Amino acid sequence: MKKTLFLFLTLLVALSTQAQLDRSQMPEAGPAPKINIGKAKSFELKNGLKVFVVENHNVPVVSYTLSLDIDPVLEGDKVGYVSMAGDLMRSGTTTKTKAEIDEAIDFIGGSVTTHSGGIYASSLKKHSDVLLGLMTDVLYNPVFPQEELEKSIKQTLTGITSQKDDPKAIAGNVSDAILYGDKHPYGEIMTEATVENITVEDCKNYYETYFRPNVAYLVIVGDITLKEAKKQTKKYFAKWEEKEVPTHKYEYPKNLDKPFLAVSNKDGATQSTVVVTYNVDMKPGHPDAIKAKVMNAILGSGMNGRLTQNLREDKAWTYGAYSSLSTDELVGSFNASTQVRTSVTDSTVTEILFEMNGLRSDIATEEELNLVLNSMTGSFSRSLESPSTVARFALNIQKYNLPEDYYETYLEKLNAVTLEDVKAMADKYITPDNALILAVGDVPAMKSTLKPFAKDGEVVMYNYYGEVVKSMPLPAGLTAEKVVADYVDAMGGAEAVNAVDSYMMEGKMSIQGMALNMKLFNSRPNKTCVETYMQGNLVSKQVCNGEAAKAISPMGEQNIEGEMLENMKAEAIIFPETQYAELGFKLELLGVDNVEGEDVFKVKIVNPLGKAKTAFFSRESGLKLKEISETPQGNSVTLVKEYTEVNGIKFPKLITQSVGPQSFDIEFEVIKVNEGVSEENFKI
Amino acid sequence: MKNCFLLLAFTFLVAGFGSVNAQLNKINFEEFDLDNGLHVILHQDKSTPNVTVSVMYNVGSKHEDPSRTGFAHFFEHLMFEGTENIDRGQYFKIVQNAGGTLNANTSNDRTYYYEIMPSNQLELGLWLESERMLHAKVDSVGIATQKGVVIEEKKQTTDNQPYGTIMQETMKRAFKVHPYRWQVIGDPDHIRAAKDEEFQMFYEKFYVPNNAVLVLAGDIEMESAKQLVKKYFADIPTGKHDLARELIVEPDLNGEVRDTIYDNVQLPLILQAYRTPAMGTDDYYALDMLGTLLSKGQSSRMYKSLVDEQQMALQAGSFAMPFNEPSVTLAYALPNMGVECKDLENAIDAEIAKVRDELISEREFQKLKNQYENDIVKGNMKVATRANSLARYYTYFKNTNMINTELDKYLAVSREDIQRVAQKYLVEDNRVVLYYLPKSQQQ
Repeated sequence: MKKTLFLFLTLLVALSTQAQLDRSQMPEAGPAPKINIGKAKSFELKNGLKVFVVENHNVPVVSYTLSLDIDPVLEGDKVGYVSMAGDLMRSGTTTKTKAEIDEAIDFIGGSVTTHSGGIYASSLKKHSDVLLGLMTDVLYNPVFPQEELEKSIKQTLTGITSQKDDPKAIAGNVSDAILYGDKHPYGEIMTEATVENITVEDCKNYYETYFRPNVAYLVIVGDITLKEAKKQTKKYFAKWEEKEVPTHKYEYPKNLDKPFLAVSNKDGATQSTVVVTYNVDMKPGHPDAIKAKVMNAILGSGMNGRLTQNLREDKAWTYGAYSSLSTDELVGSFNASTQVRTSVTDSTVTEILFEMNGLRSDIATEEELNLVLNSMTGSFSRSLESPSTVARFALNIQKYNLPEDYYETYLEKLNAVTLEDVKAMADKYITPDNALILAVGDVPAMKSTLKPFAKDGEVVMYNYYGEVVKSMPLPAGLTAEKVVADYVDAMGGAEAVNAVDSYMMEGKMSIQGMALNMKLFNSRPNKTCVETYMQGNLVSKQVCNGEAAKAISPMGEQNIEGEMLENMKAEAIIFPETQYAELGFKLELLGVDNVEGEDVFKVKIVNPLGKAKTAFFSRESGLKLKEISETPQGNSVTLVKEYTEVNGIKFPKLITQSVGPQSFDIEFEVIKVNEGVSEENFKI
Repeated sequence: MKNCFLLLAFTFLVAGFGSVNAQLNKINFEEFDLDNGLHVILHQDKSTPNVTVSVMYNVGSKHEDPSRTGFAHFFEHLMFEGTENIDRGQYFKIVQNAGGTLNANTSNDRTYYYEIMPSNQLELGLWLESERMLHAKVDSVGIATQKGVVIEEKKQTTDNQPYGTIMQETMKRAFKVHPYRWQVIGDPDHIRAAKDEEFQMFYEKFYVPNNAVLVLAGDIEMESAKQLVKKYFADIPTGKHDLARELIVEPDLNGEVRDTIYDNVQLPLILQAYRTPAMGTDDYYALDMLGTLLSKGQSSRMYKSLVDEQQMALQAGSFAMPFNEPSVTLAYALPNMGVECKDLENAIDAEIAKVRDELISEREFQKLKNQYENDIVKGNMKVATRANSLARYYTYFKNTNMINTELDKYLAVSREDIQRVAQKYLVEDNRVVLYYLPKSQQQ
């Protein structure tokens, strides 16, 4: 009997393993496992300290988290002092130097960290008493030594220097400055100057005012019983003195009333950090919070979010693109961001806005919703592995005044979210028309491409400190010669330029309602002829054959001589840019400027006769955008609006010429290189 | 009486020591091989109703052709593209729909793929991992897409980050023949130039059961888990290629290598890389403890001296790279403003010389042991981390139980060992020194 059973079992196993597995069928899930949320126990000390205990006896570790429930403080011209006060609490007490505290903590392999909002301490259970002794020494007796403050200031200053390279830090400062403004604690920017203003008194005042048990929670997590916790807290925290703590209220920052385009520079960036962000008024526990989080997850959470699917999986522009919608007691926020190669900065903004608007115009699919709900359910369940999650739940219920069963019923609330809810949340909280659109990267290469996104075509540049800057600083080591060489490259390169023996251009313009045509002939080395026609009749002509020149006008014919002739000869040299040095032109880099919203380098060009003009070259394309020269009638300004390529060389196609109050556009319709020009054209 | 007290204290200390091992809850597991060579490790922990399903492939950047670097990491992307039964782009969706999460990572030595699923989705996790071991989609659409993504990833994590190229610059100077000389992310030119067939060849060679270990950890029933593993993995054929890899021994450095890199950084950074033995060797444990002595915690020697007391550095540290073959131990520091790099480097050298010249104190030594005990206890808190450790110990050392015994290796290190390894390895002739300087300082 036994034998048969054994045989049967072997057979069964053999059969079950050898039966052909149908791999095309995805396995079914088993019955859903039960999710248990551990319970936190709580009690309060006489001084008002609220204590939460979460027991977890898996590993012999206990942690103590003390957190203050206070309003953010406006720091004014001392931004940084609040966080410095927090950091410095463990830098010396009435009985121990910083080095002694450090050594004592490290000796037990534990950790004690202090910050402006509280203290965290953790160690193996067997060291708990030593740990609490250190934690409370730091809590009751910090002395904020002057020399430690100075060290901290020095390190913070160095830290600011290194942050100036971090696109995330730059983006953070710029968006804080724009979205919150400096009257709000979230909008204050720490600078070298504000850090240098911090004094020991500031730190002490902060500590004395805000580190009070009546505004504090102590969360104990780990291998400890409620009884042990009560005994410990009584021993270590009962003597902490209570005192009334001031509260602060802030006005909700004004929302942007139209899309605001901002850029910030990071030298040598190969990528742009693109951020679309705005404030959202949503406090923790807000009735919309869970629904809005689901909506945001469809847009930009993880690999399946629409942003990553679009920008990474479809376009391969980025490693990832994500969005967040976060609640906050003061100001919540929406933030979509990604890092992409510079050349697709504007396209990336288009796609992010497309996905944001898409969620408003088209209802999400059932599949997308289920995916997010299942995924959020799983993530909630996984988070319960960490006992600190249970502690955090208990703390949030207290801090934000949430219903007692908020987390117990969280999964019910989550799974009740419908497609209509998602649509309603998108309509309410996805508001690209009020967004700050920010790109941090190679500003010259991307700034002008962002103009179309701004209603008024304005793109504002900010620096690391969140301050508006007029124009880009000059790159180190740049010379006027380099700018000109880049211009030659941008035109098509020296080789292509030198292959031009002659060229002609035919254009039309309109002056005071009169339609005029013009023809321009140029030939090496310095022959030139400009003819102007009205209704097919020649009305004026200036010609120079390289030696002599004359001008014909309705008033008659006139030879050009003397200084004017010399000047015309110098100005008639075709493509002098490749031979400025040989010809004796002098160049000077004047700095940076802006032409029609485009960043430019400004170069002074002095011809061998000493006559100067100023040329403006685009930082982005290298092409000449503007030229100013002096004429007897006043400054003559030429703006090149559009270039076109002929024989591998870029020629101006559309220019605006203005002299004094006169201004007219010329559009060149015919451009020919090495044809259409003969010696006849330069005959005098 | 006084002596008596001392004796008592001593006994207490010893007892305290004895409890080190007693307190470490032993991590239980079962392991076995399938006929096709797949090694399987099962670890049960029912604290929460979740299960980690993971596969570690014994393929990292060190297994790559020097003219095709970045392949192992490239597969970390490609392996999510789909399989014969899973459509392109569905991999993430299936896991997310099941309430799970997934990820993967690649190192110089190995590649690791995992899903953390609700425990009722164990079978799904096994199906997903077996699908990509059996017949992942290595086709032109996926390859083309991931080429773009990986090249952007390199820019984001390496080129566009301050000091992002530091390991690249260090390792290519520290190694001339060993594959550790190139980076996991690889050379974008190699990735661009690689043909589809090359990726297919790589897949056929390395992503086979006899080159992998499968771990199930969490809320599982041992017997049914075993049956399910067989159901999904037993029919995957053993790989046909020879996996033996010629051991490449890097000759000694024989003299300091020193260089300056000008980069888009605001603050200089000084880095020293000393050539040191592989993970798992006795000297490695001593070197790892030496790194801890120098830089873990604010009372560590480098932090205390360079950052706190002398205020020469914003940050300073030292650690041994956890590589399976001989690699490097790094020491680095970022100078505070106004501090000359050379002065700071001299200060680093002085700290290292101190370890070479003087035995560390008993109290510092005890501190080190306490720190390791704390780290190892805390390091095994999460089931997913345990799964990773189990896979790693097997892949590197064919000794899964090291998860329970590695602390002993650290506790076996003596004060003299720490001094000895400092004298042997942390010497000038055995290091690469790099200065990372702001481009504005370039002459």
